[in-house]
Amino acid sequence: MNKKIFATLALAAVGASGCGGMGVEPWERDVLAKEEMQLVTDPLEAGIDDHIYFSKEASSGGRGFGGGGCGCN
Amino acid sequence: MKKSDNCCVSAALATATCALLGTGPHGAVQAQEEHAWEFDSALLYYGEDKGRVQDISLNVLARRNFLDDKVLSLGLAVDTLTGSTPLGATPLDGPQTVTSPSGKKTYSMPPNEIPLDPSFLDTRVAFTASWEQPFARLNTLNAGISFSDEYDYTHAGVNLTLSRDFNKRNTTASLGLSAARDDWSPVGGTPDPLSPMLDVGDLSNRGPDDSKDIFDVVLGVTQVFSRNLVGQLNYSYSNSSGYLNDPYKILSVVDPVTGDPIPPTPPSGIEGPSHIYLFEGRPDDRTKHSLYGKLKYYLSGKVLDVSYRYMTDDWEIDSHTLDARLRFPLSDRSYLEPHLRYYTQTHADFYRVSLVNGEPLPQYASADYRLGEFDAITAGIKYGWQSRSGHDLSVRLEYYMQDGDAPAEQIVGRQADQDLYPDLDAIIFQFSYSFGL
Repeated sequence: MNKKIFATLALAAVGASGCGGMGVEPWERDVLAKEEMQLVTDPLEAGIDDHIYFSKEASSGGRGFGGGGCGCN
Repeated sequence: MKKSDNCCVSAALATATCALLGTGPHGAVQAQEEHAWEFDSALLYYGEDKGRVQDISLNVLARRNFLDDKVLSLGLAVDTLTGSTPLGATPLDGPQTVTSPSGKKTYSMPPNEIPLDPSFLDTRVAFTASWEQPFARLNTLNAGISFSDEYDYTHAGVNLTLSRDFNKRNTTASLGLSAARDDWSPVGGTPDPLSPMLDVGDLSNRGPDDSKDIFDVVLGVTQVFSRNLVGQLNYSYSNSSGYLNDPYKILSVVDPVTGDPIPPTPPSGIEGPSHIYLFEGRPDDRTKHSLYGKLKYYLSGKVLDVSYRYMTDDWEIDSHTLDARLRFPLSDRSYLEPHLRYYTQTHADFYRVSLVNGEPLPQYASADYRLGEFDAITAGIKYGWQSRSGHDLSVRLEYYMQDGDAPAEQIVGRQADQDLYPDLDAIIFQFSYSFGL
């Protein structure tokens, strides 16, 4: 139980200290280096989806630039 | 630390760094050793029901990796679009006739159906190019151009993104700027906003080609939280100014009691529209603000990818987008990825189901369903596998639906008996193939 409280407090402390305290050491990046852990796994598919939703909805962008490029909206 | 360990650590670090800087999803460092060029290609079918828009799209993204993590990216997309698209006019229990965009002929629409423009036919070619290179050890610069061409629309844009790593490269801050100029050359000319649709051969309310300028700023932070968790937070500002109308969208002028579209009186005797329709008119400026957050979490081989976007603009449209994907490995070479997306938006303050005869004409009005209030859901699944030769393949099948309602306070008379909002059901099917040369 104490371990859980300690872990929660530690997590909160890390969070409160801001991004400067977060992260991993260089040798701990094995998982982060995997293809499926990239923020955009498939840029072509992401672009296609952006184009579809830009044509059909009133919102665009957010992940990247959102303006223009198509007469569809 | 042994020499071999050092090697592995540096390789892993380089790969992770490239990945964080967005230089490529397919292990850019590894690929650099094997292939000078990497290609992602995709064939997409997007099809709406009831004979509405169908799109067959071929997309290719080529990347050339140079020494020192410099990357050249070239993208090409060709879309072939056919089908019908909602005009903006309201349905009626009798036939309706409108003048085609060219002003050279008319076409009729059946009773009790949402009026569609059947003349939608276009080919779009889009080209992008970007150059990315690190500088001063912790910084990366990405400069790009974009260009697209349609029968009646041209886009040209430039963009620049500067990124800097902090905190042992666990934090990356970025600033992106983009500027674009889009030109409209509508068939038959650019209709004056809120002017009436005229008879065949009368183009007196059509003006010359028009354009809009778009300026975007994206401020972003990506953060590694732990070995298994990485996140991203972006704020985006986007301003469009100039001609922001859809030149083919119209509104019905309806009777204040019955809600039926009004025929012109007296009839002109010339072939033309059966009722009074006005071309839409939107404000000539729009500013959007978006907040976008994303988390990717790795757990025992599975990857959870969740994102949320909030958008608000000065047209009084607010939207929320929730997106979630969960990637399951099926074997060392294959995976399954279900996808769910939920989207909801409020309507623009100038969105009108129709204009009421006798009431003062508003300054701006549009019946474009994309500016209305609706919810949308996407549900789909993707299956990906790697061939024995190391090529990546995937297929995905998704279902997209929009469900909207006309604002109750805008419904007049017998409009209540009609389906006023053009709900949408669409299928997305994509085959992707990635390889190196």
